[in-house]
Amino acid sequence: MSITFTVNGNQYNVDDTQGEEKLLDFLHETLDLTGTKFCCGIGVCRACTVSVAKGQSTVEEPVIACSTALSTLNGTRITTVEGLSDGENLQPIQQAFLDHFSFQCGYCAPGFVMASKVFLGWLKNAPKMTEQQLDEAIANAIGEHICRCTGYVRYYQALKQEALAIIGNPADNRLSTEHAS
Amino acid sequence: MSDFFVTSPKSEGGVTRRTFLKTASGVVAVSILGTPQLSRAHSNAMSGNMGDVAGHAKRRIDGFAKVTGQKVYARDFSAKSMRGWPQQQWHALYLRALKTNAEFQGLNLTSLPNHAKPAKVILGNQLTAAQRSPSMQVSRDLIMDDKIRESYATADPIHTTKPTQTASTSLKDKVLEQDPVSFNHPSAVVFDLIVLPGNKPDYLGQPVALLLFDTLSGYKAAHRALQFQDSQFQTYGNNSEPNKYEGQPFSPETHYVKIEATDHCQSDFSYAQTPPPKYNKQAKSVGQEVTEFIDNGKSNPDQIVQSFASDMLAMDPMFMEPESGLAWLDLNSGVNGSKANMHLVLGTQSPDGDVSSVVSMYNDEGSPTPLKNVTLNSCYPGGGFGGRDSSPFSLMLALAAGFCEGNPVKLSYDRFEQFRVGLKRHAAKVHGNVLLNTSQQILAIEGNMQFDGGGRKNLSPYVASLAALCIGGSYSIPKANIHANAIHSQNISGGSQRGFGGPQAFFAIETALDEVAYNKKWDPIALRRKNVISMGDRSITGGPIDQSLQLETMLDKVENHPLWSNRERIKAKKSSDHIQYGTGVAMSLQAYGTSGDGVIAAVQMDRKGRFTVKSDAVDMGNGSATTLGVVIGPILGANATTVDMGDHTLFGRSGLKTKYQLSKGDVADYSNPIFTEQSVGSSSACLTGLHQVHVVQQTAQALLEQSLLPAAALLWKLDKLTAPQIEWREEGMTLKGENHPPLTLEVLAKKAHDANLPMGTLGHAFFQNSWVKSEFASQQGPLTFELDGLAVYASASQKPTPLHRSVISFPPPGTSRYARYVWAPCVNVIGLTVNTRTGHVRLEDVLSVLNAGRIHVPELVSGQSQGGIAMAMGYTLLEDMPPGMQGPANGLWNLNKYHVARYLDMPLDTQYTPEGRAQELILIDPDATVPGRGIAEAVMCSIAPAISNALKDAVGVRYQSLPITPSKILRGLQS
Repeated sequence: MSITFTVNGNQYNVDDTQGEEKLLDFLHETLDLTGTKFCCGIGVCRACTVSVAKGQSTVEEPVIACSTALSTLNGTRITTVEGLSDGENLQPIQQAFLDHFSFQCGYCAPGFVMASKVFLGWLKNAPKMTEQQLDEAIANAIGEHICRCTGYVRYYQALKQEALAIIGNPADNRLSTEHAS
Repeated sequence: MSDFFVTSPKSEGGVTRRTFLKTASGVVAVSILGTPQLSRAHSNAMSGNMGDVAGHAKRRIDGFAKVTGQKVYARDFSAKSMRGWPQQQWHALYLRALKTNAEFQGLNLTSLPNHAKPAKVILGNQLTAAQRSPSMQVSRDLIMDDKIRESYATADPIHTTKPTQTASTSLKDKVLEQDPVSFNHPSAVVFDLIVLPGNKPDYLGQPVALLLFDTLSGYKAAHRALQFQDSQFQTYGNNSEPNKYEGQPFSPETHYVKIEATDHCQSDFSYAQTPPPKYNKQAKSVGQEVTEFIDNGKSNPDQIVQSFASDMLAMDPMFMEPESGLAWLDLNSGVNGSKANMHLVLGTQSPDGDVSSVVSMYNDEGSPTPLKNVTLNSCYPGGGFGGRDSSPFSLMLALAAGFCEGNPVKLSYDRFEQFRVGLKRHAAKVHGNVLLNTSQQILAIEGNMQFDGGGRKNLSPYVASLAALCIGGSYSIPKANIHANAIHSQNISGGSQRGFGGPQAFFAIETALDEVAYNKKWDPIALRRKNVISMGDRSITGGPIDQSLQLETMLDKVENHPLWSNRERIKAKKSSDHIQYGTGVAMSLQAYGTSGDGVIAAVQMDRKGRFTVKSDAVDMGNGSATTLGVVIGPILGANATTVDMGDHTLFGRSGLKTKYQLSKGDVADYSNPIFTEQSVGSSSACLTGLHQVHVVQQTAQALLEQSLLPAAALLWKLDKLTAPQIEWREEGMTLKGENHPPLTLEVLAKKAHDANLPMGTLGHAFFQNSWVKSEFASQQGPLTFELDGLAVYASASQKPTPLHRSVISFPPPGTSRYARYVWAPCVNVIGLTVNTRTGHVRLEDVLSVLNAGRIHVPELVSGQSQGGIAMAMGYTLLEDMPPGMQGPANGLWNLNKYHVARYLDMPLDTQYTPEGRAQELILIDPDATVPGRGIAEAVMCSIAPAISNALKDAVGVRYQSLPITPSKILRGLQS
């Protein structure tokens, strides 16, 4: 028996005996993909966030690689930060984080990038929402991530800009002008 | 100890970055390169597009690599990813001391599963003396080095600390015999790197054994088996008395006494103004006079004595990347195996100091494997905040390499280990009294500040010393008696963490003033305005304030801001909703730099007119590389396309020498054309805004005047051209008021090259209240810059040629005793709510008024502010880390116990509105022509007292013990 999954489009078959191995260790030690960062190792800081899609679903979910065993990933498609950009062509959220000076040391950036990308993917099909609901949704997406350098303001600004680019500003239909408060 | 000396490598520039160290075992060649992938091009340069507008950065120069997950951190590398390294990688694991009141007897690893058995176990008795206690040389601060020398010369009880006993008595004696040039001498650093069996550990977390594994699987199995169960594998003797050195102060201590002259007392007495022998002799008695003066105020109806007593726990910098590195001791490189090459991959704030210490470990007398070459790949630190400044990690890594039989070894802390041994912000206890009169004038302050230095001395006395200066706050105080020290304890070592003693000091003075205002029903801003320090006044040391601070303007901004002016209305509204709300204000005047700062930079131009900026500084994420890359734009017409940080070879090529490097008999002052007061120091984010920018801009100006202007004159067929005659436009250099065609940088660079004009300049500057100003003999005639060293590159691949220097002006002798010269003022206002049922505090709004001087990259300045606020919020309310084995020294601490500020803890808007939650930053005169200021710590320093003051306003309780946790809030409410 083996565990089968893809990472950035490449397929891997891992023996069942490796089932307890954490995804982060596999990425680092076997694939030498170190863009996904180790910070706390216990699933608190979210620096190790990757995106995972199950089966044929196109829906991606953020997954904490330091605490996820390979045995739980059979049949999944995993994307790490290395799988996002093609040379100089960045994902919009990567460009937004650059343009907003969202990070300093940058060690938390890949985790924020992956969680934000998953969030923006979800947002494309999300029901219309108020601005407050959008802020709450952003908080749900990246609120548990830890950044020690920049104090979150610039991540928030960049992600909200990208979110508004998808769902429109408060005058548009998809973003309700009604203030929930 | 090893001495860097002037380098003269045969092949320089873009090919090698070598310098040399003189050691007991001969000369060692040292190369410090950048991240390994980039270093394949023999440079740690960062290239990137910061935007095309000269002087403006559109993005961070390092941003692309970081946002795409490229390998830029030390943790990203393994032996396999290092070109030319052996593929088999060993793994190191240190076991840590669990007690300091019993002798460590040894290990019992019999219960480890077979597959988890280490290949080697190294105990303290297997180390040579140099390995056990390597001597270190880090000249950090001129004033502190002088104080150490003074303490030994005068045996003044105030400044002298009896050295603590070490396990290696002979080594201690040897070190004591030497002139204590370095602050790290003589005591703490000689605590053994690995405890000798039979000795009591000196501090919790001190290594007791090094376990080495030749397979990753073995290392991981052992790590799993040992983690959280250390006590099962270590044996100790019976408990006895605690380590008898507990509580001893590290040398030197700081005692600032100041009495300003009045009509009744005609002469000033202060550390800066009184001749050192007299000061040392009289400080104690004059300090006592100040204390008595304050005591007398208690019985004077026109005076108020406000006491303060605050304490704060240690704080972990919690930088995101736990320390990690690779080392390879290549045994096959020496002649007949007599010497070896050391290769290191590290993320550090102090690359040259770390290398010097590693070389000492391997090349002091009796070393079995002296080094011939050391190569350090200095990677981007995944956060620093001072926690990677002189960290012992590099020594522990290099030590492990010596036992791995020529194989590379990786030492990678996990977060539990990082909490257990990483440098901390010091726990501290501060108490004292402030004397005021009923006209709200501060008359005097006395205080005692004790910092828990933990196990190793590190930078603790420096931190205590700056705190002693900072406790004067932002105020002009005529009389002061301040004593500060850092003591040895069994706890985790303190370091140079962000704020450097400022957070503890400003908390004490700002809460004390708020308490007076509260009790006397004085307006807290009026009280502060009455006492603010300004140009011409003197700090606690007696040093003059020589720059405009604009503190009153800043208070005006606060006073007129709706968050402050409407505070009672906001409070009443919240109260009507049954919400406890309060507003607090606090100021800080963070001193940055040291008592004398040497800085160095090079600016080089290629034939296409593209610029490279080189600096010895390390960018910890604060954006110094980006800033240094754009500040040449207004001078040279374009930003740098490449910024090369952490290049410690630059000073060696400047042609300058410090007094420690000059030959015997050479004159050690500025009459000697190659003398400089200081080479370079450790990297600090605060040194960017003023110091590093200054040397880069002066060096760029030197390139303009020696190369681009003469080239333009040749092209425009003019006899001579000066800087004021030209203007940079999008199309290139233009001549003001003339019709000459614009000259692109590519054209200018080609002409400069063809005419054998310099293609680069290397400048060194020294600042001690003023910059050294010199005239240099150049091809273009005498040129004047605020530099004390200038060399020119004929091309990027050749070594620079120093220009002859005649110093025009230099800082007067004695200015070092001012201690600090430049200041970053900030006023913070906090609006918060308190849940009186749970004790939870929520920051609603933050207003920061900051005088950062001229702003070079606004996004980096506000980013520093926002990050500082978040870190300070955690320090004040969340980060609860007890000392001893209840804290992270027990190996059980991670982010599940240690809570830092999260997204939802912080206001995220940037402009105040009554409905939202914002952290608004107001900058004072950001386009000013005055230089920028180092502001990495400025905003952070007065957040904690502003929160405490807001709590007082909200619930009427004074909280003076940090962190102010919900349980403390509730206890305060109950009392």
